[in-house]
Formats: sequence, C-alpha cells, structure tokens
Amino acid sequence: MFKALLEPFRHPRPVIELGAGKILGTGSGRKPKAKARDFAGTLKRIWSYLAKRKAKLYLVLLMVVFSSGLALLGPYLIGMAVDDYLEGAGGRSWGLFLLSLALVYLFFSLTSWLQNIWMIEIAQETIYRMRTDLFAHLHRLPISFFNRRQQGEIMSRLTNDIENVSSTLNSSAIQIFSSVLTLLGTVGVMLWLSPLLTLLTFIVVPLMALGMRWITRRTGPLFKERQRNLGDLNGYVEETLSGQRIIKAFSQEERVISGFRERNTRIMLTGYWAQAISGFIPKLMNGLNNLSFAIVAGVGGLLAIQGTVTVGVILVFVEYTRQFTRPLNDLANQWNTLLSAIAGAERVFEVMDEETEARDEGAAKSLASVEGAVRFNGVSFSYDGGADTLRDITFEAKPGEMIALVGPTGAGKTTLIGLLSRFYDPAQGSITLDGRDITSIRRESLRSQMAFVLQESFLFKGSIRDNIRYGRLDASNEEVERAARLANAHSFIMRIPGGYDRMLSADGSGISQGQKQLLAIARAILADPSMLVLDEATSSIDTVTEIKIQQGLQALMKGRTSFVIAHRLNTIRAADRILVLQAGRLMQQGSHEELLGQGGLYSELVQGRKQEEAGRV
Amino acid sequence: MALIFTFLKKYRVAAGAALLMMLIELAVELSQPVLIAKIIDQGIREQNASVVWLWGGILVGSAVVAFIAGVLSSFFASHASQGFAFDLRDKLYDKVQSFSYEVFNRFAASSLITRLTGDVSQLQDTIFMSLRFMTRVPLVVLGSVLMALIVHVKLGLILALTLPVLIVFLSWVMKKASAMFRTVQNRLDGVNSVIQENLTGIRLIRVFVRMGHEIGRFAAFSGDLMRTTISALRLTETTMPFIMLIVNAGILLVLWFGRVEIAAGEATLGQMVAVINYALRTIGALSALSWIVVTFSRARASSQRISEVMAEQAEDQAAAVLKATGATNTAVNRTLQGKVEFDRVSFRYPGSDIPVLEDISFTVQPGQRVAIMGATGSGKSSLVALIPRLYEETGGVIRMDGIRNTELDMAALRRGIGYVPQEVLLFTGSVSDNITWGNEHATQEQIEQAAQAAQIHATVLGLPNGYDTKLGQRGVNLSGGQKQRLTIARALVRRPSILILDDSTSALDAVTEGQLLEALKKMSCTTFLITQKISSTASADLILLLDEGRLIGQGTHEELMAGSKLYRTIYESQTGEASPYVQSIT
Repeated sequence: MFKALLEPFRHPRPVIELGAGKILGTGSGRKPKAKARDFAGTLKRIWSYLAKRKAKLYLVLLMVVFSSGLALLGPYLIGMAVDDYLEGAGGRSWGLFLLSLALVYLFFSLTSWLQNIWMIEIAQETIYRMRTDLFAHLHRLPISFFNRRQQGEIMSRLTNDIENVSSTLNSSAIQIFSSVLTLLGTVGVMLWLSPLLTLLTFIVVPLMALGMRWITRRTGPLFKERQRNLGDLNGYVEETLSGQRIIKAFSQEERVISGFRERNTRIMLTGYWAQAISGFIPKLMNGLNNLSFAIVAGVGGLLAIQGTVTVGVILVFVEYTRQFTRPLNDLANQWNTLLSAIAGAERVFEVMDEETEARDEGAAKSLASVEGAVRFNGVSFSYDGGADTLRDITFEAKPGEMIALVGPTGAGKTTLIGLLSRFYDPAQGSITLDGRDITSIRRESLRSQMAFVLQESFLFKGSIRDNIRYGRLDASNEEVERAARLANAHSFIMRIPGGYDRMLSADGSGISQGQKQLLAIARAILADPSMLVLDEATSSIDTVTEIKIQQGLQALMKGRTSFVIAHRLNTIRAADRILVLQAGRLMQQGSHEELLGQGGLYSELVQGRKQEEAGRV
Repeated sequence: MALIFTFLKKYRVAAGAALLMMLIELAVELSQPVLIAKIIDQGIREQNASVVWLWGGILVGSAVVAFIAGVLSSFFASHASQGFAFDLRDKLYDKVQSFSYEVFNRFAASSLITRLTGDVSQLQDTIFMSLRFMTRVPLVVLGSVLMALIVHVKLGLILALTLPVLIVFLSWVMKKASAMFRTVQNRLDGVNSVIQENLTGIRLIRVFVRMGHEIGRFAAFSGDLMRTTISALRLTETTMPFIMLIVNAGILLVLWFGRVEIAAGEATLGQMVAVINYALRTIGALSALSWIVVTFSRARASSQRISEVMAEQAEDQAAAVLKATGATNTAVNRTLQGKVEFDRVSFRYPGSDIPVLEDISFTVQPGQRVAIMGATGSGKSSLVALIPRLYEETGGVIRMDGIRNTELDMAALRRGIGYVPQEVLLFTGSVSDNITWGNEHATQEQIEQAAQAAQIHATVLGLPNGYDTKLGQRGVNLSGGQKQRLTIARALVRRPSILILDDSTSALDAVTEGQLLEALKKMSCTTFLITQKISSTASADLILLLDEGRLIGQGTHEELMAGSKLYRTIYESQTGEASPYVQSIT
C-alpha cells in the first residue's frame, strides 16, 4: 500500500532532446498549429458571415450586456440586504426589495438563456453557410489545385478547421465578451466599494502570473514531446495494422508487440509528467482563490470592526473574488481556443481565396450534339510555368476514329486528355471540336459530350446500381443492367451478395481493383456520350478479363471518337491512329502497320520488347 | 464502462489517494462559509479583532493545505490515468495481434487505429478529470447542502428542497442530451464522408458534370447536421439558466425566512450568510455540468468501441497455449518439406454465402513450381491465402506433407512459408530491418544472399547507406519494382519450404523477372506463382487455371495448350506476333 503510494513519484523525467523531431522516418508527429497571420482580416471576414444575421447578433450582444450587469447586481443586492435590512433597521419595504431581487434573478436567467439560444442559431447557420460555400467553391477550383495539395490536408480544412470555428462561435465568442464585461464590472464595483480591499484582492494576480509561467515553461516542451510520441505511435499502429497480412504470415506478432510497448511506454512517461504538471494550473487558481478569500474575510473583518466597511461589503467582496478569478481563468482558456479557431478560419478562407477555373467566356456556347472531329493545332502546355509538358502537338481525329496514345510514363498522355476536357487550357495553339475552338464552348457542355474512364476508378458510397447510374442520373434499372452486361460486369455483380443493390463503402472494399474498373466502364457506357476517353481503363484488369470485355469496349467505341491510353498491344493495334509521345513531343502518328513500316521509335519499342520476350521464354 | 474499472483496479491505491486529496480540498472549501460566519458573528459583531485574526489565519492555513493536496492529487491522478491508458493500449494491441486474419478484417484498419489511439486517450482524459473534478461536482452539491443543514437546519432545509427538483431535471437532460449528441455525431460523420468522397472523386465529378448534384447532396447533409446540432445545443444551453433560476429562488426564500428567524433570534446573520454562500457554491459547481455530460457520453462510446475489440476471439487455442507456455500442445511442430495437397477444397469469406473457391483439388510435390492463372476475382489470391492459414477453408482438406493443416502448429506452419502479397508493404526502418521481418535472426550474409536471389542486392549497394538506408513510411524512396523485389527478399530470407508470390513480379521488367525465376529454382522450394504472363507460366511444373472459383484446367504448358481453349486464347493474345506490353519499355 505504502509502496503503491510512492509509485507516482518514481517515474523518471523524460529527457527532451532539442530537434529530436527531425530524425528521418520517425512517424508523423503532428505539427504545431500555425498561428493566424492576418488576425484582423480573418476576424473581419468571420464578421461578414455573422453580419448576415446582424439584427439577431446585436440582440445577443445586448443580452450579454444585460446578463453581465445582472450577474454583478445579484451579489451586490444581497450585500445591501444584509446591511440595510438585516443589520440596519431597513428603510423601504422588505417585500419590495425581495421582489426586485427576484426580478434580477429572473431576468438574469432569461437573458443568459436567450443569448445562448440565439447565438447557437447564428453560429450554426454561419457554419452551414461557410461549409456549403467552401464545398461549392472546391468544385469551381481548377484541377491543378488538387494536384498541388494532399487530400488529407484539404480534408482537414473542411472538417477539423470548420468544426473548430463552429465550437468557438457556439460558446467562446459570447464567453469572452461576457468575461471581459464581468471582469471590468467586478473591478469597478469593487474599487467603488473599497479601494483597500480591492488592492488586497489583487495581491494574488502577480502570484498567479508567476505560477502560470513556472508551469507553462515546463509543460510546453512536455506536451510537444507527448504530441510527437503520440504521432509516432499512430504511425506505428497504422503501419503495423495495414501490414497485418505480412505480420501474420511471417508470425512477427511478438516483434510488433514489443515495438508497440516501447512507444507506449514513452507516451506514458511524457504524458504522466505533462498531465501532472499542467494539473497544477487549476489547483493554483483554486489555491489563490482561497487565499484571496481568506484575505478578504480576515482583513475585511478587521476593517469592519474599525467600521470602515460593512458586513455587506465583505459579503459582496467574497462573492466577487470568486466571480473575478473565474472569468480570468475562462479568458485564458477561451483565448487559446479563439486563436486556434481564427487560425482555422484563416485556413478555410485561404481555400476560398484560391482562384477558380477561368470563367467561360461570355460568348461561350452550349453544344446540342457533336460529330466528334477533334483537331490539335500546335498545342503547347506547361504546369505552373515550368518546363513544357506538351510541345507543339498537332494531329486530327475524324469523327468515330479511335486514337491510341502510346509512350512512357511522363510523356504527357494524361495531360493531353486533360487539355481535351479543359481541365487545363493550352498555353499556345488551339484545340477544336467540330471546327470550333473548345475555349468557346462551355466547360460543362463540352464535358457532357464525353464519357471518361479514369486511371484511378472511383466509387461512391452507395449501391452498385447507383454507382453505375452516376453516368446518367435518369437511367432506368434495365439500362443500368444493359450497360453492366456490355462492360462484362453483370456476372460478377450477380455473384456478390445483394447484387446490384450491394452497398459499397467509399474505399470500394469488398470488390477488387479490376471489378472497380469494370463498374467505371459500365458507368461510361451508360452515359452514352459522343466521345469517349479511356485513361488506362484496363490497367488493373488481367488479360483474361480484358479479353472478355474487349468486345464490349469495341461496341462502345464504334461510331464514337475515342481516345485511349493503354499498355497492351492488343488494344493499341485496334486503333485507327496511334500517337507516339515522348517527353511532351509527338514523335510519330499513324496506324500500327504504318508505324511499323516507318521504323523509328514505335517499331523500336515493339521490336525491343519482342527480343526481350524471345530471350526469356 | 465495466471495462474502465477492470483496468483501473491495478491503480486503485493511486486513484484512491487522488480522490482523498480531492476530498481534503473539498473539505477546505466547504469549511470556508462556516469560518466566514464565525468571523461575522464572533468577530465583527462582538468587535473582537483577535477572533478575526484567528479565523483569518486558519483560512490562510487551510488554503495552503488545499493547495498542497491539489498538487499531490495531480500526481496521483496522472499516475492512475496514464498507467491505465498504458495497460489498456498494451492489452488492446496484444489482442489485435492475437486475432486471426479473418477476425482482423472484420474491423476496418482505420477504425482499429482510432480505437487504439483516440478512444484510449478519451478514456484516459475522462479518468484524469473524474479523479480531480467531475466526482467533485456531486460532492460539492451534496456537501454544500449538508453543511447548510449543519449551520442552520431550517434555512438549510430550503436549500435541500431544491435538490430533488435539480436531480430529476438533470437526469432527464443528461439522458436526452447524450442521445441527441449521438445523432449529431452520426450526421457529422455523414457530412465528412461526403467531403472525403468528393475530394477523392473530384476528377470524375468534373468530367461527368455532377457538381450541382454533389453540392445539393452536401447541402442536404449539412442542413441536417445544422438542425440536429441546434436542437441538441438548445437543450444543453437551457440547463444552466434553469438551474440558476431554481437555486436563486432558494436564495430568495432563505433571505425571506432568514429575516424572520433573525428577528425571532433563532438565527444569526453569519449563519444566514453562510447558507447563501453554500447556495452560490452549488451554482458554481453545477456550471461544469453540461461539459461533464458531454465528456461522459463520449467516454461511454469510446469504452464501447474498445470493448468490441476486446470481446473478439483470439486466433486459436493452440496458438494461445503455445504463447503462454512456450510448448506445443498436441499440434505437430516440424519442419515443412513442401508437399501441398488440396483435396476438394472450397472457401467462402466469413459472413458471405458466395463461394469464392469450389471443389479445388491438386497436389504439388516439394520443390515444384505452380503457376496460377485466372481472371480478376476468380479466387487466385484467396487460394494462396489458405496455405499459411490466413483464412480457413470452409470445405475439403488441405494437407502439408500429408498432414492436415489444422493439426500442424500454426507458428511452425508459417515459419516454413515465405509469402509475398499482391500489395507491396514495407515498414519504416532500414533496408535490412525490412528484410529481417522475414527472419529476425538472419545474419548479414543471409540477408545479402536473399537480396541477391531477389535481384535487389546491386540496387541496395547503390543506396546512400547500403543496407542501413532508412526507408520512409511504406518505403517511399524506392520505385515500385524495387519495393517488390525487397518484399521478395523478405520472404526468401526465411529459407522457406513454400514460397508464395501473389502477382508480385508485375512491376519487374522481363529480364529481371527471368533472373529472379532462375534464382528461385536454385532455392528448391515449392513455389506458388500467381501471374498474368504466359512467359512465367511456361516454366512451371503445374499450371492451375481458375475461373469464377473453379479449377477449369490443370497441367503443364503443353497439356493446357492442347486441352484448354481459354489458355490458348490467353497464349495467343500475349504472344501473337508481337509482345503484349509496349508502354513499359522505357
């Protein structure tokens, strides 16, 4: 028992090395939150959101003023009651006095209730508007924005940062305002009642500051270290859990368990010290509170004997000192929340300030239907003004032709398709569709003429049916099934539980990568577009399955201008025209036979490969 | 919540000490109004300065005692809660590692991570706060009422009368609020998952011109969230004004009756002041209540999520016994020779009624090479996952060296198997750390031998620190093919009797792959090779052709060329007149 009591004091203090976080590969310690850079500007913008409910907001502020005032009045009236009615003879009617006190209490409850209720409505409506604005804005941003940033980072702005602003608006905003008012009011009334007692009460303030400094100096590095250890542990858990298959198959459970224990111990130690020391703060506050209580009671008592102050004044002081350290404590807490919320809001606004996709020119037209004649005239393009990703590309695709894009990774194949769908616009040259410059066509209209099967097939949370139907929202169930049959997806769909109504999770778990691509192809088939873009649509589909869906794809491409990025010769050979790209340049174009006849890069690629094959088999 | 007490038991002394310290603090606080009453009644009213000095001094002294107790309680509470969290995390991780792969897959990896980190931290914080603040709230309320009664029965009774009203009201609010906050959390998850989905699928949404559709969907979700949040918060924010109203009404009554009592000489001014002071303290303590409600409902959810994991079964009894005693039970513990028999094996994933494998039978002799081909979803990966018993077959029998696999010791079985999964998985650490995942006792020489066989030795020597080069999380600084070869080296360093390559040569160029297959021959282990390339199947002793979970053909290359139409189609598609892959030549 005695031993157990000493246990807490036996933990070794962790030694915190400077720059310890910089060792390569030690997990992802969470970075300390950046402070807001443009404090006033951000605050102004939050205000502009809040200002949409200006009238209500002013009412809230008015209520805060009332409730803070009434909060001061309550204890004061009690002090008065003691002095005038209980100690003294009492002049006016006691009943009337009690009635007015009752009214003070009633209105205090009423005003603080109203201010909270109204503020919550304002705050939540504001958050709703910010959230939907931000979301709509994201859909107007150019694709290059998403290339530049990590998805997790954008995600955290939309979720954590907004949540942060939300909770601050809910409570902290009012609390800060009322804390300041209460503080000023308390000090004012205290000074007015007894300057000497006020001064004595304030003795504890410097003590408080000193104590806080002592504590935060020690806890700051400890918390940072704990955060780092926590990040390290998170990284370790994530890694070992996603590598579980390996750990199981290689029976390495003991190894990861001991690795985990090591990290767990580190967290425990830093966590212990951080928590123990930071736990002093409320105790310090409490202790000093008790101290000032004692001072007021003791000194006030002596003064009362001399007759300088009344018992009522002491009572008021006793209650005020309690009321005075509380807002001080609140302020310190709320201030940090406020700062981090403003930093969060700033990160949200940063996204909103990102430039949107260039607006469609005023004269931009919508297309009713297209033939599908595509021309690239000397098109060059570079990302963010860097080296040219595509240079001087010229070619033509006649309506209904199948164009295959061939070339090594980084040759610019996907970029070329990005230009065609106006994710980006060319720096030089022009692209025409049916003889019309595509920049004069509304983006949405242009894109609705094409169906895409993208490299990374993406599924939404929802049923298989809904996922296919995403290609055309008004498609009937029969049409969905017909598309799935064409894509050769029908048979696997029927074999999984639930069939077309099987719910898929966002990461598409439960079906394989190849099956996802089949669904994506079905989606494109359903869209029934004039033009078709397949960006490595069959890369994760094995040869056997590809053979099976080849017919479906051929049927789909028939009569539609199609652009196909593919690896396999089978697919490539079927193309009407093959574009051979290398380092952003169009090296060769023509049919398979023409290109083989020409010699050059294409036949080198094919021949080189053949020799390798021959040497191996 | 029972979980919390089980794990906290070990720290009951520290937890008890923390609570004791809190009680000392509480006692000091609750004695203050009484002392004030003494100062007023015996000091000020009797004009006795020495009494004021005496009680004032006691007030200061007790403040110091309370402070010391508070600091000590911080240590005790921190020790108990951190120790608790350490034990819980440790047990939880042990538990997760003891799961069979099947049970493990019942949880999403991301949810296990949150349970291990976020949920444990949540419980830890709750315990720390409980030991220091939360248990205080009811104690302050009860203590205040009790003290008020002691100071003056009649006046105290008025305060006591408010108590039942408060308790009924509060328990109603708590119950209602925690249900409402659960709904809020669900709605928030909904909103976040729409965001996640939109970010991942942003290109798709653009090209299908579904921005309006998505924005509308999001606005609907956000609107729901807003409405539920408002109604939940409205409830909690009503609590405090209502409590104040009740207690303040009590104060008014105390004033009214107090004056009567004082006039009658039944009570002193100091006594009345003390009772009022206790009433005010009650309000102060209760103001922390809505925060406590939220914290506790979160803690309950966390402990539920953790209990779910704890309630799952460990892998198998034999493994558990082995772990505990270090000895084998009846399980056969021997070195594998490498003979593998599938006898009418069928398999379906747990909780699913769709057969993944049906009626699969084949026999592989030690040292043979087996190539497995088949369409996406035909069951290739599931078939090889049965060999190291990541999953258990649901029908038929698998025999290793003629012994049924369930009779073999699990650890011994897996020791003899080198497994390279489809997905490349490397761990943070150096190159040799990663290779020794296969065999932690491997010497440097053995590591290099394995690397050589896996055709990665030369590449490793070219790295800045050779075998000591650190790899980032999941080995970011290596190319796909290099990573694949490293995972192969990891399997080879085990000197396995059975090697499983689940489509793990896909990122290798033809020459390297050829060299690798050549090197594997020398290792004379039974090799299962899942592949799409005819070139790799040609050298196999046995080819298994799978289609929709059935074995539709087995035999050598020549046999299948003669007997299987599908195999011939694949062969022709790949070796027609040119090579299958054009783009990868760079």
